[in-house]
Amino acid sequence: VVVFGTTFFNFDSFIGKTDSIEIIGKSVFPYCYHNILPLLNDSGRYSLGDARRPLHETAVLVEDVVHTQLINLLQQAAEVSQLRGARVITPEDLLFLMRKDKKKLRRLLKYMFIRDYKSKIVKGIDEDDLLEDKLSGSNNANKRQKIAQDFLNSIDQTGELLAMFEDDEIDEVKQERMERAERQTRIMDSAQYAEFCESRQLSFSKKASKFRDWLDCSSMEIKPNVVAMEILAYLAYETVAQLVDLALLVRQDMVTKAGDPFSHAISATFIQYHNSAESTAACGVEAHSDAIQPCHIREAIRRYSHRIGPLSPFTNAYRRNGMAFLAC
Amino acid sequence: MASAPWPERVPRLLARRLPSYPPPPPTVGLPSMEQEETYLELYLDQCSAQDGLAPPRSPLFSPVAPYDMYILNASNPDTAFNSNPEVKETSGDFSSVDLSFLPDEVTQENKDQPVISKHETEENSESQSPQSRLPSPSEQDVGLGLNSSSLSNSHSQLHPGDTDSVQPPPEKPNSDSLSLASITPMTPMTPISECCGIVPQLQNIVSTVNLACKLDLKKIALQAKNAEYNPKRFAAVIMRIREPRTTALIFSSGKMVCTGAKSEEQSRLAARKYARVVQKLGFPARFLDFKIQNMVGSCDVRFPIRLEGLVLTHQQFSSYEPELFPGLIYRMVKPRIVLLIFVSGKVVLTGAKERSEIYEAFENIYPILKGFKKA
Repeated sequence: VVVFGTTFFNFDSFIGKTDSIEIIGKSVFPYCYHNILPLLNDSGRYSLGDARRPLHETAVLVEDVVHTQLINLLQQAAEVSQLRGARVITPEDLLFLMRKDKKKLRRLLKYMFIRDYKSKIVKGIDEDDLLEDKLSGSNNANKRQKIAQDFLNSIDQTGELLAMFEDDEIDEVKQERMERAERQTRIMDSAQYAEFCESRQLSFSKKASKFRDWLDCSSMEIKPNVVAMEILAYLAYETVAQLVDLALLVRQDMVTKAGDPFSHAISATFIQYHNSAESTAACGVEAHSDAIQPCHIREAIRRYSHRIGPLSPFTNAYRRNGMAFLAC
Repeated sequence: MASAPWPERVPRLLARRLPSYPPPPPTVGLPSMEQEETYLELYLDQCSAQDGLAPPRSPLFSPVAPYDMYILNASNPDTAFNSNPEVKETSGDFSSVDLSFLPDEVTQENKDQPVISKHETEENSESQSPQSRLPSPSEQDVGLGLNSSSLSNSHSQLHPGDTDSVQPPPEKPNSDSLSLASITPMTPMTPISECCGIVPQLQNIVSTVNLACKLDLKKIALQAKNAEYNPKRFAAVIMRIREPRTTALIFSSGKMVCTGAKSEEQSRLAARKYARVVQKLGFPARFLDFKIQNMVGSCDVRFPIRLEGLVLTHQQFSSYEPELFPGLIYRMVKPRIVLLIFVSGKVVLTGAKERSEIYEAFENIYPILKGFKKA
């Protein structure tokens, strides 16, 4: 998915909030411990300590990217709902948008199933929860799974979507993330580990109302329903995760290894970014040299876009808004 | 079927510490569930004909009785068989014995469970098989359910002559410690886990029982205290009692769900209390198919656990999504238990139908968790 090219992702036109950085439940970068982003909200910044404070610029940039992508995704989903004549954006619309990328769709489905399973278990533990569930009347068990199964059943022409339910392949991306986390946590002491765990638990779904506000769907005619919001929160988290994965790859690439035969082939724009003003600013934060820099993020996004590369005129990624989604 | 009420079966004390329910496999010729149901029905039929608490029952039939019986029977099983029929007639003599020397909780329980004692007596009077279930060595230590108690009952029946006087009190402490040991006949199971001395504590038991009669929920809600009923919201009466602290959902079909108890016996006791309430309101409630549906236990291993390592090595059993739930969900195959493992070292075990499953699951997971101890 990493494509070299010359165009660059123009995100300036989509910048939402810059000053009052109200990032709700900003999910943590659990993948690169040293990049745990601050959780910025009304009550103040939640900083995780000097050595682990990620660059503010990186945080801002990631927030922008995620917000932009989500808004675009929402708009596309709204179009799909309108085609159906529905009044709310349902999870089915989001699943429909994701139908092309099997791996990401599978990850989303797995997430939905785990969510169902977890509710079922937690319900059995606390008697109050059990009562609540009974009182809510409808059969809530496995509701997300049912939604997904029914929908994919209806749109599946070739049987490959339904095959995903039985598919037990290992999700490589997830596997890599797990391994990375394991490697990092092995060397931590218990205080650091406690902190790490806490930050891993941050998610967009915990503060659903703030997430909703941040997304700002008020201008849209069709709004997402509850399960769709859950999925959007998950996709936001996945976007951040993908960005980090890619940025780490980029950073790895940037380190020129002696004897690396391809070091001369790294693209010109890439080097330009690296040598730009940003890096001089970054020099001032030598201590955070292992933090992800905005340039890494930008390069990752640039490479991810389908618009670059020798085959770009022939791909159908020339969507109206030109956005390549990281999450789907 | 009608017979004189049986004296209180203090062997019920053993039953109080039931580690497992339903009864263990009938390798010792324990009665089948159907027979048990019949006894329940018979007993409850009798029960509904009576009113008020039963008079205090004989303390004679302490859990020690089995010991005596064991010795007796070991030497002379035949006489035991023969004496059984006679016992039935004479058992009624022990209806008015003083219970005051028993510890409070026992007496309390006896008062609370007049039903149970009668039930046992019914069971005993009806069953023919108890005779064939004369004690084997392992039976002595049984704290299991109806079967063991009826066994003990049969033991008690078998030596009415001996126990005319009160059993020697010194034996009582033994019986208590016996009952506290919670040992099953099949596997000597102690609540103390051998490896680490940490015992999971039961936190919640969900059980169901069939009252076997159609209920008028509105009438129940109006007449019973601590009952709420909102037909628009949910089609059942929610009733609560304070001792044991539990909640019950009572449906118009007669089925009932009882939650919140901290032990199997408490769950059973609570379910009986609810059944009693329903009975007192005029419905012919019975107590069929009492079944423990789920047991939840929790404990603390007292060291932090590196969940990332655990999820990687036990991928096929675990799922860990910290942004969704802070604990790792571990699906153990044998026994089929779900464990929620937290970074702090707290472990919650759920999905058990028997106490032994919880203990076993914890025994299995403890060495694994030690391997991922976060120094």
